Amino acid sequence: MELLIIPFALGLISFIVPKNNIRFFGLIGSLVPAVLTVFHLSGYTPGTLTEVFSIKEDIIFGLTFTMHYDGIALLMMLLTAFSFPLIFLSNYNRELSSSPLFHALAFFMQTGLFGVFIAGDGVLFYIFWEFTLIPIFLILYWFGNGNYTTLVKFFIYTMVGSLAMLLSLIWLKQYAVSFAYGDLIAAQLSEKEGFWIMAGFMLAFAIKIPVFPFHTWQPNTYSTAPMAGTMLLSALMLKMALYGMIKWMIPLAPEGLANMKWIVVVLGIIGIIYGGIIAIKQTDIKKIFAYASISHLGLIAAGIMIFSQNAISASMIQIINHSILSIGLFLVAEVLISRTGTQDITQMGGIAEKAPKFAFWFMIITFASVSIPFSAGFIGEFLLLREISQFKLSLGILAASTLVFGAIYMIRAYQLSMSGHKENLQFADLTWNEWVVFCILGVLALIFGLAPYLIGDMVKESALQLTYIVAN
Amino acid sequence: MEAIVIIFISALISLFLGILKKPTLVMVVSIAGLAIGAIVQNYEWYFLNEKYQLLDFNDSNIQFLNLAVTLTGIIILSGYKHFMDEPATIGDFSALMLFSLSGGLCLIGFKDLFMFFLGLEILSIPLYVLAGSKKKSASSSEAALKYFYLGSFATALLLFGIALVYGTVGTFNIEKIGFISMLFTDQLPSMFFVGVLFMLAAMLFKVGAFPFHFWVADVYQGSPSVFMTYMSSVVKLIGIYAFYRLFGMMFPGVETFWTTLIVIAIFVSMFIGNLSALNQDTFKRLMAFSSITNGAYALMTVLTYKSGSDALLVYMVGYGFSVVALMTINMLVNDNDDKLSSLAGIGYKNPLIGVVGIVALLSVAGIPPMTGFFGKAMVFYQAFEENMWLVSFALLNSAIGVYIYLKITMTLMKKDDNAAVISLNWSQQLVLSISLLALLFGWTILYF
Repeated sequence: MELLIIPFALGLISFIVPKNNIRFFGLIGSLVPAVLTVFHLSGYTPGTLTEVFSIKEDIIFGLTFTMHYDGIALLMMLLTAFSFPLIFLSNYNRELSSSPLFHALAFFMQTGLFGVFIAGDGVLFYIFWEFTLIPIFLILYWFGNGNYTTLVKFFIYTMVGSLAMLLSLIWLKQYAVSFAYGDLIAAQLSEKEGFWIMAGFMLAFAIKIPVFPFHTWQPNTYSTAPMAGTMLLSALMLKMALYGMIKWMIPLAPEGLANMKWIVVVLGIIGIIYGGIIAIKQTDIKKIFAYASISHLGLIAAGIMIFSQNAISASMIQIINHSILSIGLFLVAEVLISRTGTQDITQMGGIAEKAPKFAFWFMIITFASVSIPFSAGFIGEFLLLREISQFKLSLGILAASTLVFGAIYMIRAYQLSMSGHKENLQFADLTWNEWVVFCILGVLALIFGLAPYLIGDMVKESALQLTYIVAN
Repeated sequence: MEAIVIIFISALISLFLGILKKPTLVMVVSIAGLAIGAIVQNYEWYFLNEKYQLLDFNDSNIQFLNLAVTLTGIIILSGYKHFMDEPATIGDFSALMLFSLSGGLCLIGFKDLFMFFLGLEILSIPLYVLAGSKKKSASSSEAALKYFYLGSFATALLLFGIALVYGTVGTFNIEKIGFISMLFTDQLPSMFFVGVLFMLAAMLFKVGAFPFHFWVADVYQGSPSVFMTYMSSVVKLIGIYAFYRLFGMMFPGVETFWTTLIVIAIFVSMFIGNLSALNQDTFKRLMAFSSITNGAYALMTVLTYKSGSDALLVYMVGYGFSVVALMTINMLVNDNDDKLSSLAGIGYKNPLIGVVGIVALLSVAGIPPMTGFFGKAMVFYQAFEENMWLVSFALLNSAIGVYIYLKITMTLMKKDDNAAVISLNWSQQLVLSISLLALLFGWTILYF
């Protein structure tokens, strides 16, 4: 319960903290949930389901207040808790950092994210899932660059998906005692019902991830959002959907998996290729990274649908990796945009001469993003591609194109923006806070690249249990 | 029973106190009357548990009484400023609202068609007057006239329907009618079905559902804001609950006949309400269309009368308080031109209005964790088993609704430094705070 109360309280306190101390308060305050999750980690035995705070009775129309986490959820909680200090730190010397409103909304969002990951009840999951949408929408609305059509599109798109998920939950409840996770899993469905229930969940998740035909809200939203908003969206919000696929969608309606697997894997692979090709042609730096994100996440979504123990572990590694990368990439984008005043990479160039520190770290992030060996991306993508190839070799080969496309669009972005020579270029090098963020991200990518078992060990047992549920 | 008497008496007192032209005094008397009435009634229900022949408040409907009384109380509070502007007529306004409410309470507790009809008339007649109470405004007079003509027509239909049903079964008692319709389903003459049809038409008119929804927009827009709030929250609540009891208790035997018709009415109403609301630029008209849609969702509980009225209760807590909060905010900003655009930035500059506005709009859009979500989810959940497609379309409509309310939210919360800072007086602060609490925690009403 303290996992929900502390971020929420921090959010409320943000309103009363004086304006010139708020960024310091945000940074220090966001470390508290981080410490808390580490505390939870220290008491965690792999493979168990740890209860957090539960009222098991039927509270209202079958909703129970069950809260627990397994290894996968705990990893997501750690990711959430540690992303916030990084996001606040990268935001430290920007305009947004002096806004109490922004910090409050970010903390409210953290409450919602923790809720999503510890929810042990279908409706509770849905409630927190929707709850996260409100703060992020307000952040984008108040601090974005004012493209309201994009925002409305984003909100309506995600709402339509969520309502489909609600329909699926209500449908599923017809066969279950209550909305508690265990009861929902115990529900027996026919193959057809399983497919449609899964389709409802999948629509919600596919829109949020986003998987190929549902992605149209994403690039514009990213390019209108402020940096911190984009980071929150891509590093945390989208991961919620991937987590939902692993933990909720497939175990709840495994009867539909056989049919749904094909659809999502194929869509995911279309996303990989489509996102990659579009990213190569883009000139807006934020849009390049947005399409790159579609490409990367398509691979993860396809991998999750294979749903073997290795596929889940690999997806988790890749989820963590992508969060690290997206914070790094959007910080890069912000550094470039705020100092050159344009989002167009063809108008940049020659920056490497002026800002060697930035050039170095951008290069590191680029390398991690194209998944060279010893970066976290390598092991994750390699395992995912192996699992997809075992499912269907031809699909595996198509999916492997992500490596090629990734190299092209990332190195193109780097080359156009950084290399060359430009007369009279004013470009300040990294400030200390940006440098610290890049250092942490770089080191993390390296650590998880060298020792992916840190993540693998945590999720292995839970993943095995989930595959066991699905197999039976 | 006691509640009706006490509220009626306090209405009479406030009517005569109007002579003194002291709005605060009238306000205090009315609200005290409401509070005492509700408390005495709850005391009687809880400790004495007496039974009456025609009218009964028991476990199943006491919460509806409490909700209706509370909503009326805070609507009177929120209309304080409006009343202050016209001290000469304050007594009339608050008295008429209380008269109307005491009729509404008959509609909540009725056990007999006679009481039902009486309640419906006492509820409606003051409303015709209130709708036209802004005497100098043409649209207000239009609203009153339209409401009166169409309302009387619906009443006539209802009366005719009651007569036909009575002619068939020979009793006014709704439980007996229920028994007869269950036992002799095959032998009922067509006269009975015509009666059911007429009653159905009249009730659909009263709750403003398709195909009798045409009056809603004009009447709501023309009426003064306070009374429009009353109509779309309290009257809607009472109307739908009466509908639920009437059909659930009287005609379970001929269910197949009327459920189909209600399903069609709900289906079309949802779309009409939402699609008409999409491009409105005046706030009250938008809320009128939104009330058609929300009424349609609430009507689903009539279909699932077997599962009880909990869903309706929670739904109406969410919807009723949202309407009160939103209309209070609207009254603060504009009372005459009623443009949506004049709300711009108000919520951003005034934190209390902003928070309440966001919560109310999210609640009416059905986004968790507000009460509106719980209500909607319960209603849909109950209806899902038998009417899966209807619920699917209702969820689609919720998505359209989200767009409508999101647009208002965005207008209200616009980052506009030139927006007015509004000073709230105590009654408005109280109304907004109560609404906020009810919208966040209102679903716990099931535990009281």
